[in-house]
Amino acid sequence: MDREQVIKALKDSGKWGHKYSLWAIYFGTGCGIIEIPPVITSRWDAERFGVIPVATPRQANLFLITGYVTLKTLRAIIRTYEQMREPKYTVGFGSCPINGGMYWDSYNTIKKLDKYIPIDGWIAGCMPRPEAIFIAVTHLWTMIDRGTADAYKKYRKQYKYYRKNQEMALGKLEWPPLYPINEDE
Amino acid sequence: MNKKNLIQQLRLTFSDIQLNEHEDGIIKIHAKKEQVKRILSYLKDNMYNHLALISCVDWIKEKEFELIYILTSYLDDKELYQETGDIYLKIRIPRGDPEIETVISVFENAEPYEREIYELFGVKFSGHPRLIPLFLERDYEVSPFRKDFDTRKYVKDVFESIPVIPEEEE
Amino acid sequence: MREVELFFGPQHLGMVGNFSITLNVEGDKILKATANPGFLHRGFEKLMEYRTWMQNFPLVCRINVVEPDHMEMVYAMAVEKLAGIEVPERAEWIRSIYLELARVGSHLFGLWAYSNMLGFDTVAQWAMYHRDLILDLFEELTGGRVYHIYIWPGGVRRDFPEGFTNKIVETLHSIGKCVPDYNDIFFNNPLFYERTHGIGKITREEAEKWGGVGQVLRATGKPFDIRKVEPYAAYDKVDFDIPTREEGDAYSRIMVIRDEMIESVHLIFKLIEGLPEGEVYNKVPNPFKWKIGEGESYVRVESSRGELGLYLVSDGGDKPYRVHFRTPSYSHGLTILEKVLEGANISDVGNIMISMYVVAPEIDR
Repeated sequence: MDREQVIKALKDSGKWGHKYSLWAIYFGTGCGIIEIPPVITSRWDAERFGVIPVATPRQANLFLITGYVTLKTLRAIIRTYEQMREPKYTVGFGSCPINGGMYWDSYNTIKKLDKYIPIDGWIAGCMPRPEAIFIAVTHLWTMIDRGTADAYKKYRKQYKYYRKNQEMALGKLEWPPLYPINEDE
Repeated sequence: MNKKNLIQQLRLTFSDIQLNEHEDGIIKIHAKKEQVKRILSYLKDNMYNHLALISCVDWIKEKEFELIYILTSYLDDKELYQETGDIYLKIRIPRGDPEIETVISVFENAEPYEREIYELFGVKFSGHPRLIPLFLERDYEVSPFRKDFDTRKYVKDVFESIPVIPEEEE
Repeated sequence: MREVELFFGPQHLGMVGNFSITLNVEGDKILKATANPGFLHRGFEKLMEYRTWMQNFPLVCRINVVEPDHMEMVYAMAVEKLAGIEVPERAEWIRSIYLELARVGSHLFGLWAYSNMLGFDTVAQWAMYHRDLILDLFEELTGGRVYHIYIWPGGVRRDFPEGFTNKIVETLHSIGKCVPDYNDIFFNNPLFYERTHGIGKITREEAEKWGGVGQVLRATGKPFDIRKVEPYAAYDKVDFDIPTREEGDAYSRIMVIRDEMIESVHLIFKLIEGLPEGEVYNKVPNPFKWKIGEGESYVRVESSRGELGLYLVSDGGDKPYRVHFRTPSYSHGLTILEKVLEGANISDVGNIMISMYVVAPEIDR
């Protein structure tokens, strides 16, 4: 590392350490799970970017939602997302979370994932290549530097709209609200 | 026994069934719903011991459901397997209140097929030990695989009516 | 001790895919297991009724994400049987080579999942690397790594490019050179034997009673393979063996998979040697206005997990009337898994499930 990089790292060492160790949670939600093993093994090697898979949501701060989301999976995704500690980042992988993708007329998949949990960025494709995941990670670093990767803050501020949408899609939810909802606001 | 004997014996043992043999060796049996278990256990004792599929077709114009049981054999010799061939057993039941007896006592792997047909078409299987939904978690007014359920209209009514999250006020 | 209900849910390090099992345990022993599918249900068979015969091809291959090629093959075979379309001879041989490459790739993926779960990380990395070499071949042939859309009714979409068969032979040789290393590290390892011997044992009568097919049946000693008893494509023109084992436990199933991979590689070499010249597809009528007459058909192929079948009904229109896939993981994951898990330990659940190659999207469709 040269002098400029050392100064830049020391100025904001929290952000520097945080950027280069995004730990992704090990949860395969849909079709896209087939491109995750090549990414984390030796040929494409995501560990040089700092991304490794971990076992529980409490240890993770990156959630890669790979593929389409059905109603039962949405329940599991929301519970996993709410257990992660802040700051946390979500990336939608594939064209199905963007607008429904190939199953746009299915009665069991949700069409826009943005209405239920906040998303930082999308990766298009069906299937995207492993290089696309790495480009997404570098874009996320730029966003963290500039301070625009704040989807988790939006979840806290607009929580009552998110909770209402989740109840419209899934019916009664078994877990209490994560943040207190002020009804007369 | 070979196929010609089998066809003769089936015609003698079960009255009131229609049986045709097609040119590629497939035997199609049309029967009534009360005879299902007896025909299946007779065929199982005569080399047809693999239940490949239980399926259901919705003939809405004729106001009937048709249940199809496809049976093959587990023989691993090529000539014997091709001589035995497939059997399709087809049962028609009325669409208004569809109900039929379960065949789990004959073929144990029929259990998830019957649960799936109950959930997606609404056909009740009497005697089934666990007739609860397999895949779906919502209640639908019309069962999803029936021909009068329009999936595109359902998507428009349910999913597109959920609003987008508004941007925060400054 | 009290009975406790545990949720071996979708977000779990021992679970490959999006599937969950509810376990009733007492201490460490399982009393009852209930499979919980439905996390990946898209209603494929309903969606296919809204698209024309040709528009269904990109949709059909997405049912099983690990190995989409056998799904295309079985749909093309069913449509050809209903519409009475012939396939030229070169296309049959090309289809066989393509399906055997897919089988090797799918078994390597299963080997990654199984050895990762047991804890043998080196073999997992090698298996995924070798599968990537095969995906490179698919990318050169069809343009996509995972979803290929290569087989359609009447043949295959395009011919092999120049020098492609030499590339296949070179890639398979480079994978074959590593087989002694795989044997030393994994297959002949006494630790692997001790961890899988006697786990998840099924007898031949039980497998036939509960609807088992594929490796689950071949590991109990019965050489039942659709490619031998009802040949399709070019399988009746070359000679190959069906490997079997006797005990019916997890060890036998994995050894059957290893033997099948080696047999597939030899089969590909034989098919490449005998490849004839000619056309690769027969034209079908205008796909926008193609109507197929009334009828029904049930066809089957041997996918890498067992017998895969399709029941197709047409009422004379330009869209299918009813489509129903019979997938091998349906009986394995819903009937056999629940019965085999009774009396097992919690730490063996992943072991038993992945040794039977249960793939979740095939169950839910």
